[in-house]
Formats: sequence, structure tokens, C-alpha cells
Amino acid sequence: MVKFILNGEEVTSNANQNERLLDVIRNEFRLTGAKCGCKEGECGACSVILDGKLVNSCMVAMGSIEGSTVMTIEGYSHTDRFSVLEKAYASVSAVQCGFCIPGMMLASESILAENPNPTEEDIRRGISGNLCRCTGYNAIVEAIGIAAKEGKGLW
Amino acid sequence: MVKSYFATSLKEALEIRGRESVTPYAGGTDLMIEADDNASYLFLNKIPELKQITADDEYIRIGAASTFTEVYHSELIPQILKDAVIEIAAPAIRNLGTVGGNICNGSPKGDSVLIFFATDSKLRLASSKGERILPIKEFYLGRKKLAIQDDELLVEILMSKTGLDNYYYKKIGARNALAISRVSFAGILDIKDGKIMNCMTAFGAVSDVVIRRPELDGILIGKTIEEAKAVKEKYLAAFDEAIVPIRGRVSAEYRKSVCMNLLKDFLESNGI
Repeated sequence: MVKFILNGEEVTSNANQNERLLDVIRNEFRLTGAKCGCKEGECGACSVILDGKLVNSCMVAMGSIEGSTVMTIEGYSHTDRFSVLEKAYASVSAVQCGFCIPGMMLASESILAENPNPTEEDIRRGISGNLCRCTGYNAIVEAIGIAAKEGKGLW
Repeated sequence: MVKSYFATSLKEALEIRGRESVTPYAGGTDLMIEADDNASYLFLNKIPELKQITADDEYIRIGAASTFTEVYHSELIPQILKDAVIEIAAPAIRNLGTVGGNICNGSPKGDSVLIFFATDSKLRLASSKGERILPIKEFYLGRKKLAIQDDELLVEILMSKTGLDNYYYKKIGARNALAISRVSFAGILDIKDGKIMNCMTAFGAVSDVVIRRPELDGILIGKTIEEAKAVKEKYLAAFDEAIVPIRGRVSAEYRKSVCMNLLKDFLESNGI
């Protein structure tokens, strides 16, 4: 049994300590926003925010998160910051198939939380662990830049 | 069912390590690639003693479970190590992966490991019976073979506080992010009053263990830049003989020529 905070609520998981956080949030808690792309920490589709930091949830064993705080895209989607990013992504058609987007959005949040005025280089480095096979990244980079401007004061 | 353990203090972790057969788990980014339901992990990621970065008169002391992100953001960390950790993988991996895990994974490709070799860093290992300090070179016995006992944990990495400012570091990978080093090189040339006080070089991802040959670097120590130029060919020839790469994802020949090019560039960037 592992106790942690999931999207603001204290929860207890019955999962084995060796299970991946990704599998637990998808299968036990039915939060399917985080996607499984590679199970090697290479693609970023399973990104969540763990204790304030972007991580690949496929690389996290449940036993390591006792007492931790986890935010998935579902929890993030209720925030004002999400709304700003959502509009920015839509405004430049930064989303095509959508598979990478939950992870991309949380990587975007992580970039802006660390630096509300990122340069293009900061943005590109910030999403360097999130693969997108549709858009070619430029629209996503542009969207994050727009969100930084439109969401002034939120980050 | 196999049991894993979550420790909240070093003392508790060492007791468990001494009593049970466990796999220490720091950041998990190497272990979880081959996640094993039957593994018995000892989770070390929330032990305060393993996450401190401090300095004493002689050393910068880096807690083994410090993440790459924490190392990068610490003001105490020498720039050579910062340059290496910021190139590791991508932000989400750097937020989990630790320097202690990088060392104890035993790979010659570890990007922070290379820097610890090049700086002759020392490792503080502890068990519930006591502790010992070992130079990193003595910790690596061979590929994935480490001088760690079943009841020991790596607690701290001890890095010299001085003499590391004039450095050269290059990682050669297939791309910028999420790339495993194909060849990596770090060199430090400590020059005072026109004289080479110390020369330390290390080659990563080339052989079973990071190559660090202080007796060859000694050829340059005590020399002026002009004197170093005179022994340059001898120095390069000695490394040419010492570097015997193994074939991996890239050929041994490629690795060898990249190593020698980097070594020459290191010298040339210092006017040698």
C-alpha cells in the first residue's frame, strides 16, 4: 500500500511497490491522459508532475512516492494556466494526433513555472524529452511562447 | 511476494541493506527500464542524508541521491560537472536520475561518472558496521563490476574544491537530447605561473571502464607550455597505445580517432 496525493486528493494505492506509477494512474485510478509510448523514459508521453517536477511516470516505482504529490493532466486541466496553454496550442494548431499532448502540456507548465519568460532555446530544451511525430515541434514551441505572453502573471 | 523497502533515514537504509538482499533504488531511471516485479528494491530517494550537497575545507560533498537537476542548481558544484549533467537525457530524467545511480549502474558511458574520474573524485561508502573512502578508479573493477559490498551503500561523492577551473569537456552523441554518449572526454589543465601543476584526462564510453591514466598525464605535469609542446608527440603516442576501444553501437576505429581528436583539441585549446 502506498499513500500519496493525486491531483490534490489523498489516495491510497493497493499496487505493488515495484509497479510503475504510469500503470497505476491509468489502471487503478483510470486517469488515462498520461500515455505509454516507450516505457524507457525516451518519449515523454507519460509525463506527470511529481513533487513539483516533471518526470516520466514510466520511470517511477510506486514504492518511491510514499507521501509525494502527483499531478496528472486531468488535475492540471482545472487550472487557469492550463486554459491559457490550451488556447495557445489551439491558436497555432499545435495539436494533431494528440498522443504527446498531455505530456507536452505538462512540460510546458514545467518550463513556464521555472521561467515565465523563456527564450526559444529554453523552450526547445524544456520539451527536449517529449517526442512529437506530427507537428515538427515548431507550432508547439510557438504555442508555449504565446502562452508566456498571454498568461503574464499566472506563472 | 517479494518485498521492497522505503527508508527515511540513512541508518534505517543501512540496517535494511545489511539484513536483506536488496537492490538500492535512487532515481530509478536505469532500473525501471527493465522493471522487475520480483526485485526487492530499497528506496533511497527520500533520505535527507543522501540528498545534501555541502562543502568542507577540502571537498565538495555530493549526496549520492542528489538528482542531476539538484546538482545543476547547486552553487557549490564546479562548472565542469554542471556542463556534463545538463547534457544528460532530458529534463524529466534529470529530475529523477541521481549521480550515485549513475556511478553504481557501473556503465563506462555515465556522463557524470566521466567527470568524477577526470577529477579523481572519491566515494564514501557506508554499511551499518562502518564506512570507507575509495578513489573512484578503485571502485570500478570492470564492466558492471564494482567494489561495493552487499551491505554497503554509496553515501557521498567527494570532489576536489580547487584546480578544476580550466577544463575541457565534450560529449559526442547521435543527437543533443536523450543521447547515450558514443565517446566522451574531459580534461583539466591546472596552470599556475606558466607551469602545468596538474593534468587530468578521462575518456568515457570507450572501454569497459572510463579510461583514466594519471601516469601518462604526468608527462605534462611540471612543464611550461613550451616544454609541454616538446613532449606533445610522446604524450599523444602514449595515449594512442593506451586507448583500446571496444566495438559497441559504433566501431572501435571511430571511437579511437574521436578520442585522439578530442585529446589533441584539448591540448591545442591550451596552446600546446
